[in-house]
Amino acid sequence: MKRFVGMSLTLAALVGVLVLLGAGFYWVAAGLGYACNGLAIWLGWNPPGTWSPFAFHVGITLGNLLTLMMVVLMISGSLLTVAERKWSALLQNRIGANRITVGGNPLGGIPYLLADALKMLTKERAAPDVRTRLLFELAPVLAFAPVFCLFAIVPVGPPIDLGAFFAGAAGAGRTVALQVASIDAGLLYLFAIASLSVYGTSLAGWASNNKLALLGGVRASSQMISYEVSMGLSLVGTMMAYRTLRLEEMVVAQGAPVLGGFPALGLLLQPIGFLVFFTSGFAETKRAPFDLPEGESEIVGYFIEYSGMKFGMMFLAEFLEIAVFAGVITAVFLGGWHPLVVDTGWLRAHVTPLWFGAIGAGAFLVKMIVLMWLQLVIRWLLPRFRYDQVQKLCWKILLPASLVNIFVTGAAILIDPSLQLLAWIGLATIIVIGLLVATTGRAAPAHDAGPAHGGHGAAAAAGH
Amino acid sequence: MSTEVKEALKQPVAPRSSELDAPLQSKRMLVNLGPSHPAMHGTARAVVELEGENIASCKLDIGFLHRGFEKSCENVTWTQCFPYTDRLNYVSSIMNNVGFALAVEKLCKLEVPERAQYLRTITSEIHRICDHLTLVGALGLELGAMTVFLYAIEGRDLLWDRLTELCGARLTSNYARIGGVSRDAPEGWLEKTSATLDRVVLLRDEIDALLTRNRIFVDRTRKVGTVSRADALDLGFTGPCLRASGEPYDLRKAAPYLVYDRLDFDIPVGSNGDTFDRYLMRIEEMKQSDKMIRQCFRDMAPGELVVRDFRYVLPPKPEVYGTIEGVMAHFKLIMEGIQVPAGEAYGYTEAANGELGFYLVSDGSGRPYKLGLRAPGWPMLAALPVILQGALLSDLVPVFDSINMIGGEVEQ
Repeated sequence: MKRFVGMSLTLAALVGVLVLLGAGFYWVAAGLGYACNGLAIWLGWNPPGTWSPFAFHVGITLGNLLTLMMVVLMISGSLLTVAERKWSALLQNRIGANRITVGGNPLGGIPYLLADALKMLTKERAAPDVRTRLLFELAPVLAFAPVFCLFAIVPVGPPIDLGAFFAGAAGAGRTVALQVASIDAGLLYLFAIASLSVYGTSLAGWASNNKLALLGGVRASSQMISYEVSMGLSLVGTMMAYRTLRLEEMVVAQGAPVLGGFPALGLLLQPIGFLVFFTSGFAETKRAPFDLPEGESEIVGYFIEYSGMKFGMMFLAEFLEIAVFAGVITAVFLGGWHPLVVDTGWLRAHVTPLWFGAIGAGAFLVKMIVLMWLQLVIRWLLPRFRYDQVQKLCWKILLPASLVNIFVTGAAILIDPSLQLLAWIGLATIIVIGLLVATTGRAAPAHDAGPAHGGHGAAAAAGH
Repeated sequence: MSTEVKEALKQPVAPRSSELDAPLQSKRMLVNLGPSHPAMHGTARAVVELEGENIASCKLDIGFLHRGFEKSCENVTWTQCFPYTDRLNYVSSIMNNVGFALAVEKLCKLEVPERAQYLRTITSEIHRICDHLTLVGALGLELGAMTVFLYAIEGRDLLWDRLTELCGARLTSNYARIGGVSRDAPEGWLEKTSATLDRVVLLRDEIDALLTRNRIFVDRTRKVGTVSRADALDLGFTGPCLRASGEPYDLRKAAPYLVYDRLDFDIPVGSNGDTFDRYLMRIEEMKQSDKMIRQCFRDMAPGELVVRDFRYVLPPKPEVYGTIEGVMAHFKLIMEGIQVPAGEAYGYTEAANGELGFYLVSDGSGRPYKLGLRAPGWPMLAALPVILQGALLSDLVPVFDSINMIGGEVEQ
């Protein structure tokens, strides 16, 4: 009981810290916007006492770049390296990383972060003589950069009127949102950039001039290109349901009530889309059970010839992918910054705009952490697929499932544009999947060809 | 419509299947796996010729762990061979001890006291569980499920702790002696071991739950590395790999030794001979071993640990210090070794991976004249290139794991 209370308090404190962090992010963005405005006035571009939307926009974007990409993404990416050790240890009846102590306290393994960074940066940089030099050096960058760019369109917090920060700034169109870039293309940008990351991997395999690395690179390119197809198609349903490509608009649309007041979450409207996207995205991160390009016990991996920080970048890119992927799922399927435990409309009416935004950002980060945890659990529990099985899962299960999903979603929206029908279908699907998992999960592995929901998605649901 | 067009329309629209099957022009790639490779535990080296991801041919290169076991044994006394046998299958060393001791006792025509027989059975079966846990854990680890490995290793370590209390070493546990065992179980050891086995059962069931019905694991192992019953017999398989192919042959039933004829246990037999069946054999045998150990605990009575024959066994210290016969026996045994009667014998036991055979030739002096080892893992390893023909590169890992090649015994 004492332990339970302690855990609950810790979790509550964590949520509180995340909310405060959200508030801080808003202040940074708004403050930088204000500073940019001041700068514009000082430079004489704007008359004193005016509020320039452009200057604010530049400042807010800068602030978001700093907070979201540097703080949220980098910190969560590097914390995930520690989290992977600790959470896998919890799973395996171990204590986990606790050898580096600060004043006798292992601090939950956090010091390993610095030790790892130091190790990566100071290790000898050995590289094969016969490498293709330019591509070899370029590959880690190509693996790292696209992941980073992806986070730009993830809306972490809702837009708040500038008036919440500066009394004179209230007015239409001047808002602060925790999102680096709001692009019309939205999800298309996501697909475009996500497909770029295959270059880093396959070039690393190619340029190393190593047979094992080459095998890894080839596996990576075939796997990632295949899964892009099902990943793209799995989101078409959500695009149709919410009638937008912008992630922030999708999040807003998920607040609308269906089925008697329940928010129209992507998970509810598109359970199949969620499973397919989750699986495909997981395959894109190249982690177990989809870690064939790495396959440490067979081919050691596409980065076999990389050492030092070049390896570190590929290593870190994987963890960043986890964080970004969690962010995208949160925005598209889990209602983004809607806190879900309380009604968003009620919350908006009862707290100040700043705290409304902060609570939203906190909720977003909590959901992200839960998803990252889920990914790590799956990674540590499931064995690796074989090359042909990965392809089979993609082309024979996920792709037909997402195609059927598109048609069903389209028909449901055509019949009932208010999404009620789609929600009912989604609810029925969730119940059916739940029943199937509950009944077949313990059965002997007799059936050979799994139904559309089968494969990894069902396993993930069962594991959860 | 011209006749030409009509003729053309009769042709199938899709390309003929022969066109689809036309081989792609590809170069074969020679990949060297090992001796230093994560999957090649026990330092084997596989030179694999790849066609895409398919294995066109596989050549095995062993001997990186060759220590000259047979020759070394010729240079030491019979008793001094025991530490060498520890290092054959280092995951289940007491089984090698017992196998060697039984072979020498066959030559000496010694009847070992009952308590010693029980203790030998118990330690052998504990080590069988250790061996199988290692295999199942490694199989999981190399298929990417590292958690399974840690569960298995936890169980193995707990059992090793018990064996340490019995014979003083964790890994190279040296327990059997010619004529008996080195020492009795310490006080409370049986209860402690029972508790440890309870924990191991929990861990084993956890592993079972994680793997046996795991879709990915089943897909990775079912119909992978299949060996038919006839092939398995032709290739000289023994042990779990043979039984997985459907041949119910186990030396503990076929030619019972120690106290196996008094124990109630079953021999699990597979039907497909694939990697999954070989895995299931291990899980099931662990259950049977557990059952056997508990039966031994129940049936074991206090008694002698070694034969009372000073030609073979060192006399107790009071007799060495107190009687002239004791001093003489001690001196002769230490200086000249056990005088095993001239002749030859083949002793065979069911080790964790199959038939462990020691072929001994004695010329009546204190040292083996010739010693030949039938390593259980060797026929399975030799069959690996045959099993892997046409398989995918990724299949090499589970197949290699499931035959459980132990470098120590195969490379001697």
